[in-house]
Amino acid sequence: MLSALLRRELLTPLRRRRMAVFQIGLATLFGLLVVIRWPTGGQVALSGARSQQIFQLFSYGLMATLLLLLPVFPATSIVSEKKSGTLALLLNSPLGPLRIFTAKLLAVLSMAGMILAMSLPAAAACYCMGGLSLYGDMLKVYQLLALVALQYAAIGLLVSSYAQSVDSAVRMTYGIVLSTSLLTLGPSYFFQGTGGTLATLGEALRALSPLSSLPGAGSMGGQGLMAKTDAQGRFLAWSLACTVLASVWTVRRLNHKLFDQSRSAGTMSDDLSLPAQLFRRLFFLVDPQKRSMGIPNFVNPVMAKEFRCRRFGRLHWLLRLVAVCAVLSLGLTYATTAGTFDWGVEMIGGIMVVMQVALIVLIAPSLSAGLISTERELGGWQLLQTTPLSVSRIIGGKLLSALLPLMLVLCATMPGYLVMAYIDPGMWLQVQRVLICLALTALFSMFCSAAVGCLSARTAAATASAYGVLLAISGLPLLIWMGRDAPFGHDAVEASLSFSSIAAAFSVIRMPGFQHYNLIPANWWFLGIGSAASLILLLARTYRLSRPQ
Amino acid sequence: MKKKAPPVGSKIQPVLRLEHLTKRYGSFTALNNLTLSLNAGQILGLIGPNGAGKTTTIKILVGLIRPTSGKATIAGVDCVRESQQIKRLVGYMPDKFGVYDNMRVREYLDFFGAAFGMQRDRRTKRIDDVMELTGTEYMKDRFVESLSHGMQQRVGLARTLLHDPKVLILDEPVNGLDPQARIEMRDLLIELARQGKTLLVTSHILPELARICHQVAILTNGTLRAMGTVDEIGRQVNHRRTIEAQLVSADQVPAAAKIIRKCIESKADVVEAPAEATVRFRSALHESEMSDVLAHLMQAGIRVTQFREVQTDLEETFMSFARHQGAAAEKKQAVAGAKSHA
Repeated sequence: MLSALLRRELLTPLRRRRMAVFQIGLATLFGLLVVIRWPTGGQVALSGARSQQIFQLFSYGLMATLLLLLPVFPATSIVSEKKSGTLALLLNSPLGPLRIFTAKLLAVLSMAGMILAMSLPAAAACYCMGGLSLYGDMLKVYQLLALVALQYAAIGLLVSSYAQSVDSAVRMTYGIVLSTSLLTLGPSYFFQGTGGTLATLGEALRALSPLSSLPGAGSMGGQGLMAKTDAQGRFLAWSLACTVLASVWTVRRLNHKLFDQSRSAGTMSDDLSLPAQLFRRLFFLVDPQKRSMGIPNFVNPVMAKEFRCRRFGRLHWLLRLVAVCAVLSLGLTYATTAGTFDWGVEMIGGIMVVMQVALIVLIAPSLSAGLISTERELGGWQLLQTTPLSVSRIIGGKLLSALLPLMLVLCATMPGYLVMAYIDPGMWLQVQRVLICLALTALFSMFCSAAVGCLSARTAAATASAYGVLLAISGLPLLIWMGRDAPFGHDAVEASLSFSSIAAAFSVIRMPGFQHYNLIPANWWFLGIGSAASLILLLARTYRLSRPQ
Repeated sequence: MKKKAPPVGSKIQPVLRLEHLTKRYGSFTALNNLTLSLNAGQILGLIGPNGAGKTTTIKILVGLIRPTSGKATIAGVDCVRESQQIKRLVGYMPDKFGVYDNMRVREYLDFFGAAFGMQRDRRTKRIDDVMELTGTEYMKDRFVESLSHGMQQRVGLARTLLHDPKVLILDEPVNGLDPQARIEMRDLLIELARQGKTLLVTSHILPELARICHQVAILTNGTLRAMGTVDEIGRQVNHRRTIEAQLVSADQVPAAAKIIRKCIESKADVVEAPAEATVRFRSALHESEMSDVLAHLMQAGIRVTQFREVQTDLEETFMSFARHQGAAAEKKQAVAGAKSHA
């Protein structure tokens, strides 16, 4: 019975043509990485430095691929079955929760195994170049990758068991993956070389990221060999603990209670007493339980609808998000001026840029990837087609609904930048440039996610591919940057960084490590042209979908 | 007693007209030369097995599908060329309810009202009106995704009525409703027809359609097989009438059945029901021949209390079509088999 379930879980995604294209593409990409650095002359580098450089990049690329692609499978696994009603059938069968969970987990791990198998020819080529130990280097990396796959598969399944919709499951899982793998590196990077609780906490957080255990990770944060070795042990413990906890939790959740979740309308504020209404008004600013007024005549109805459809898109949630951003940015700036941290203005700017770009990259796909696919999946597109709304009005409303929250988030950090420019008036031009970078990043992220998402008929696929494309564009140039000077030269790194908006913002703010690269205006051109091309694709696709078949 | 919308006068012009409508997907013909018309204030029931072409017809009418050939007009407006105008003339309720998560019922209706360009004041009043008409007022604060199927059907109908369309096209409106909700929906559709709306309704629940429709069209394999009132279609389809003989005693049922079998066609169905003391048979005999059957029964000493024709209902008519179609398919297969064998 278990094998039947496993076969079904595994074969369904493998039957898709896209999966075959993806696997071939992945194998080609890894192969190319080795080919470009394969020795062409008659001499062989005896030190093995070249193969180690390649392998370092290769392992980072493999980790990035796993982190970008794998979470979508467990994230959608339970919630999509719950939505389609097949989970009820499974729970009603002799298969127990443990078997269902095991089959789903094994299916995700098999998928991860396939992704890793695609990299084996390239890994073998690296090994043939010499300088690498089979057990000391290569096996360790693959062990780490397997551990990461296990951990995020278990977490993804747990999220999926809680999620009420496929896209929220994907969004939440990517959020967890990004925060535990990337954001946990931030504190140790910024507090390196200092002592005290914050530095210790930063070091502890760093161990939670699988990236800290990869070869060469010690040089990233300058933590040294001992710290790296320690990080591997800590990550192993953390990862296994996470897996066991998430697995037990998910198995306990796989029962009839999953379906026992009718959503109450709640008490409407309008039906409460006047003092209670006033209190709620004061507490929420925008009361979510107050009956909405009709959509004003001058407002695009599609935009209003999009805001109302999102649980976290409603105004009271946006206000909370904006307030958190404003408080964080001002807090950081205050900490610097009060002398709490011995950081320069560039460092504060760098932190703010990282946080903002992370927020944009996390929020933009969740807001705009499903603009068309969600309508198609839930049957709303057909209804929209029977209204007199034109394609441009539909798209305009949808894009505005994604743009406004992004702009609010950007504007919320303005006070922080203003204080920064006040501290160091010489930075005013840099602040202006950074803001342009961030605004263009937000626009590009939105247009690109919407364009990539509109190609899929299902929200989960749309959201996952939008995250994949966006994270690849923002993150892959940073992989090349990690191989700066060796194996990649200055020009190659600069050319690749021109595609990354985060790198462009870093270079403008003169963040250490990026100050030697001149990425403006090349990056702005790329973002501008990319946004325009994405908008054209989105309009063309939507126009095609809206025409009678 | 059947409750129907009032009959329509002969002066009323057809509102909905389909002329030689054909839709092909490659070599597959989904709709074949469909021609029909419907007058204002009438309800047309479109029935047929799955894949008969009902939804294709509906989608052409609401401008979602372009026909391969032929013409479809609503109130003189071409469904393909003037699709923007059609959107205001037609209210379409698909079989799948378009759910928007986290939206309350009133917000849902408000959005569609705004999408049809209704001004806020007018929209607010109109929403109140349609919610009252469809009995959805009590669920105005509930989230759309948490509604039961029956509730969603009602909200869907309220949405369809928002912009006050002339023609309502409803795909399976009573599907999944409980008996009480079904009766309420039926009454609501009759009321809408009484208000002058023209309705095109598809349903698999044929007795429901028979009760409310002025006309019924039967589609199979994309071809219109019959159209008219239920009785007219019954006569078109069933050359054989169903006759029931009610006897005084159940003991005489076998003897009566034996006599009837002798009198009517050799392959005709004769069903004995001793529990009800009846014999039911289907025959194409004329009135005079029927009176001979009765005379034979009387002569044999069978005591008959009633000898009457049983009204054919829509379900039976539809099943006759299915039988005819099955027989035709078998015949075609047999001919093809014989040819290949030869």
